[in-house]
Amino acid sequence: MLYFLRRTGFFVATLWAAVTLNFLIPRLQPGDPAQALLARLQGNTQAVNPVQLAAIRKMLGTQDGNLLSQYWDYLGAVAHGQFGVSYSYYPYSVTAMIATALPWTLILVGVTQIASFAIGTLLGAWAAYRRNSRVDSVITLGSTFVGTLPFFWIGLLLIFVFAITLNWFPDGGGYGGGSSPSWSWLFFSDAFQHSVLPALALLITGPVGWIIGMRNNMVQTLGEDYARLARAKGLPRRRIALTYGARIAILPNVTGFAIALGGLLGGTVLVETIFNYPGLGRLLLEAVSNKDYPLMQALFLFTTIGVLIANFLADVTYGFLDPRVRRAEAT
Amino acid sequence: MIRRPWRTTLVAVAASAALVLTGCTGTEGAQNSSAGSGMIDFLNYGDFGGGTTPKANYNPYLDATKLSAADYIYESLMYVETYSCKAIPWLATSYQWSDPKTLVYTIRNGVKWNDGQAFSAKDVEFTFNMLKKFDVLDTQGVWTFLSSVKADGDDKVTFSFKQPGASAFTQVSGVKIVPEHVWSKVADPTTFVNATAPVGTGPMKLKSFNPRQLVVERNPDYWQADKIKVNELRFNKADAGGQVEQLKLSRGEYDTNAMFVQDIKKAYVDRDPKHHHYWYAPGGVISVYMNLTKAPFDDVGFRKALTTAFDDKQVIDKAQLGYVTQASQSGLVVPGQKDWLPQGLADDGRIGYDAAAADKALTDAGYTKDSKGRRLGKDGKPISFSFKVPGSYVDWVAAADILIKNLQALGITVSKDTPTPDANNQDRATGNYDMTFGVFGGGCNMYANFADPLNSARTAPVGKKAASNEIRWQDPKTDELLHTLQVSPDEKAQKEAVAGLVDIMMNQVPTIPIWYGAKWFQYDTTKAEGWPSADDPYADGGNGQVVLTHLVPAGS
Repeated sequence: MLYFLRRTGFFVATLWAAVTLNFLIPRLQPGDPAQALLARLQGNTQAVNPVQLAAIRKMLGTQDGNLLSQYWDYLGAVAHGQFGVSYSYYPYSVTAMIATALPWTLILVGVTQIASFAIGTLLGAWAAYRRNSRVDSVITLGSTFVGTLPFFWIGLLLIFVFAITLNWFPDGGGYGGGSSPSWSWLFFSDAFQHSVLPALALLITGPVGWIIGMRNNMVQTLGEDYARLARAKGLPRRRIALTYGARIAILPNVTGFAIALGGLLGGTVLVETIFNYPGLGRLLLEAVSNKDYPLMQALFLFTTIGVLIANFLADVTYGFLDPRVRRAEAT
Repeated sequence: MIRRPWRTTLVAVAASAALVLTGCTGTEGAQNSSAGSGMIDFLNYGDFGGGTTPKANYNPYLDATKLSAADYIYESLMYVETYSCKAIPWLATSYQWSDPKTLVYTIRNGVKWNDGQAFSAKDVEFTFNMLKKFDVLDTQGVWTFLSSVKADGDDKVTFSFKQPGASAFTQVSGVKIVPEHVWSKVADPTTFVNATAPVGTGPMKLKSFNPRQLVVERNPDYWQADKIKVNELRFNKADAGGQVEQLKLSRGEYDTNAMFVQDIKKAYVDRDPKHHHYWYAPGGVISVYMNLTKAPFDDVGFRKALTTAFDDKQVIDKAQLGYVTQASQSGLVVPGQKDWLPQGLADDGRIGYDAAAADKALTDAGYTKDSKGRRLGKDGKPISFSFKVPGSYVDWVAAADILIKNLQALGITVSKDTPTPDANNQDRATGNYDMTFGVFGGGCNMYANFADPLNSARTAPVGKKAASNEIRWQDPKTDELLHTLQVSPDEKAQKEAVAGLVDIMMNQVPTIPIWYGAKWFQYDTTKAEGWPSADDPYADGGNGQVVLTHLVPAGS
């Protein structure tokens, strides 16, 4: 019990620290949201119209004054789930913007993460099972090689080959110019087509970490005494690999997976930028580059909460899965 | 043996899936089918604003977040095209200053809103008074000058100014007019996104919108509908990186766009030299800003000597890829604003690079060199300062490198400082720099062009944020000329005032203009002709409504 209480306390303290940092960091940087918006509009080769700048500043209601009272207001708003109006999408609210982008990221990245995890773990287990065979070296060397390729390069290559040259798939976006989000077959097929290339890019690079992690874990567990004993008992190799090796070896990967899902947002920025995909990652990139504080803060906050919850759940699950963890903490 | 069928199946599945999928897109539009009807079916335009996840927003006053459809739906009293700054009669057929504080516009007859209702002077009155009430919408600041706006019958509107209002003419003329019968029912126009069927007088109506594509269609009831030969404009969301966009541009997928392209000639023009063109009209004046509160920049002799010290040509060719032109020391944008230049100014005020002349001028002004070839200040110590340039503006950094080398050749020690753009902006505003780049002017409001950088009321002591006079120029003569320019409705008096300001720019050298920022504009004549160009500069590429009235089907 103490273990779970302790975990909860840690969760709350981290959450508070995250919220506070989230408030402070953007405010400690130089720069002016109104100016950033104007710059987006006209680039850096035109004179800034001071009158226009002043009007935009007033419209956004960018806050001046006491940092402490701003902090207090901010905490109150966060507690009430109010994140205000987005600067770069004025007058739309931050929550409306996130609600628009969220499904895209959830589906694209959610599905590919799960698939990457499954593929990676399976391949890793297979490589460990056939250790030092040709299969093992193909998988291990292949994933090491893919792991060294920059993600954006893979993305651009896919676009160049499949979108520009072969013209099989669209070159970017979540859906085509002529369709719009609706519950229709046409839209879904359109959206699916648009998701193929980014999903492919994620599926090429995604499993690498899981493969290497799983293989190494499993090679280690298979070398343990109990595995050796099982072999000595004459149990079938496949059974040893699955019940003595994979089951134990997968544990660290499960934690890793929970954390990866929590930190989904950070990892999506690149893929969504390359493929022009209308999800949270691009929204975040844009919020940051436009100094859209309200949007930025809400996105960071959600990410932090996501990571914290995932960590918390992983800790708790671990506690259940492996009694040694609980016992060690209690003593 | 086992592997082969598996692989073939996979390829077959992938190929057929791709075929099925591409078959059922149905998203990209039809071909240009109505050739010969004298109309252009549609034109593909570039980005439509509103960021990467655009939401419907056609409120013409939300400058920073509206989508560009608003630019074709709403119109203003006059259209001030931004190349030569001519005011073209638009919703108003003419205007008259009845005295320096009173401006009367005559409103065009027979104009209709796109919902069928008649447009009248009442709408103009309503629009301006709404901007007064909701001042954050007044992004041109017209109510800092105005005292009242009244409709006078159906076709006259009288604008009364607090003081002589000549300098506010372009702003007042440019305000987008909205219909009273729609906007008077809007409770808070500052948060009104105007998402469904926005009502305007313009050449185009909203047809469809999704975050990837925005389509406007021809308004058949438009008051100059006979000049609009395009049935649809399709704006396409651009990607963040720009690589794919450039590829699409080079393949002719855009009829026009406005983006930066590395090596435009090779990447775009050479792909189809007959149809692919670009014209980068000059925009804001990018200048060397010197901190005038510090020595040696507080000495006019020093500043004037530097006017020939910079190798503009190298900056233009190397740092700016030859896309821009050399700026005139006058502060005006030539040749577009040539009418404002005083007579007899050699080469329209462009001062060429002449290191020897700069060297001599510096020596004559009392800045001699020591035995080691270092240029000495009036205090006898070697001159040394830093040049600040935003580190991420690659082209500006390249330009700064050239300028720094030019200064070093004159014996001055110059170091480069590359803060972030934000930090650089802040430092420039608070006067925390020796030398840096700044942009001013380039607009059609002559008063603003000169008052922003030079008006002493817009500066602040070093350490405080200056409104716009970041070089901290303080000169009673300048303020007097600016005042004349601000209040005089008489064109002759205005031109004299500009001539006086040009004289100050040439002889007092408050800043040193280097090049004009380019207004990116690429166009394709496959479907449409009549785009503005250096040979036919009736407007610049950004003047969408004016350009639209000039477009005709190719070959007609």
